[in-house]
Amino acid sequence: MGYEWDFSVVFKNMDLLYLGFLGTLKIGFLSLGLAAALGLILALLRMSGRRWLSVSITVYIEFFRIMPVIALLFWVYYALPIATGLRIDAFTAAVLTLTVQSSAFFAEVYRAGIESIEKSQWEGGKSIGMTSAQLMRRIILPQAVRRMIPPFTERSFELMKGTTIAATIAYGDLLYSALVLSSQLYRPLEIISLVALFYLGMLTLASFFLRRLERRLDAAML
Amino acid sequence: MIEFEWNFGILVPYWGNFLRGAIVTIELSVIVIFASLLGGIVVGMARYSSNKWLNLPATVFVEIFRNTPVFVQIVWFFYAFPVLIGVQMEGFVAAILGVGLNMTAYTSEIYRAGIQSIHKGQWEAAKAVGMPYMRTMRRIILPQAIRRMIPAFANRIIEGAKATALASAIAVGELLHEGELLAQALYRPLEIYTVIAVLFFVLIYPLALWSYWLERRLRTDEKVTL
Repeated sequence: MGYEWDFSVVFKNMDLLYLGFLGTLKIGFLSLGLAAALGLILALLRMSGRRWLSVSITVYIEFFRIMPVIALLFWVYYALPIATGLRIDAFTAAVLTLTVQSSAFFAEVYRAGIESIEKSQWEGGKSIGMTSAQLMRRIILPQAVRRMIPPFTERSFELMKGTTIAATIAYGDLLYSALVLSSQLYRPLEIISLVALFYLGMLTLASFFLRRLERRLDAAML
Repeated sequence: MIEFEWNFGILVPYWGNFLRGAIVTIELSVIVIFASLLGGIVVGMARYSSNKWLNLPATVFVEIFRNTPVFVQIVWFFYAFPVLIGVQMEGFVAAILGVGLNMTAYTSEIYRAGIQSIHKGQWEAAKAVGMPYMRTMRRIILPQAIRRMIPAFANRIIEGAKATALASAIAVGELLHEGELLAQALYRPLEIYTVIAVLFFVLIYPLALWSYWLERRLRTDEKVTL
């Protein structure tokens, strides 16, 4: 084929790629934490019983389930600053987008987990005089949380993969660093392939540990 | 601070751009959906097979395409793959390869799980009357399994349609990209990206409604079958 592979360019520029990797982790974990918390607030509000709240939150969840993340990101980065007059940098736009979008999914995970607990559990607790708070804390939540763990980890995994959209608005995540490097050094094959392999390695490892964590939590909660 | 006024009227003469973009989005979505529904059968059956020459490559394929971000895959097919094969890659093709193969990895898992959920007794009964493997698959197993797979497929289809928007980053003329070009030309990102968001919702929401309808249909049907 005559193509001369040159992987040394990747190793010579490890520091840039490393910074990109840190960028990915920053966006990923910050969004994950905020989304998990926001999703919880939304789920609780939804269960509060007020009709207008549950309807509007359902609409919120549906909207973010349908909307492509990148379209949302462009709106947050390009349109929102104009609508609000705020200045929004790439990092904030990416975190805001990922947080809001994932919060919709997490709210669904929480709701589905709690609603999957059979009525008899509620009735049993009530019949021996437990208050709602005691019921939740001692009967419902321990069982519900166990059921929530697989979809929660699945969603977190997807979120980490979603951090790559930040590259489209020039935030220095791993993919962006790879693209910048490729355009400077004219070695897209080696650079992007190795970065792809790196994502593969990291995510496969994460997936492996998440499975183990799921099994441990499952056993512990039995 | 610049005073802003919403002005959607300015976009009216450009309805053609939006339409053009929406059509490309639909084209991309339809192609990747059909490709992955068909390709998934092949890969899913390979994964299900006990033959390690089929099972191992299929497993590697699925793991690679599920454990890397789809955006990285698209970018790889657009920038890296051409260097490997020495052929120029058009954005449209790269997007289809990236999103299509990604979706195939997911649909293959849906097929595999669906096939595995069919009671072993069905296989044994087919063997007992002398049915060969492929015929058993085609006439006994798949028809039952596919009904169970439909909700997962509907979900995947929605995810696939959303993923086509990523192609805008490699200059494919789908809806988001048309919006980008227009925003650069008219300096009205607020109205434009809002319209783009609405259009994506209009394009994709019917898929979600269809999937809810399907789920309801399947749930009532289940009372009739075994």
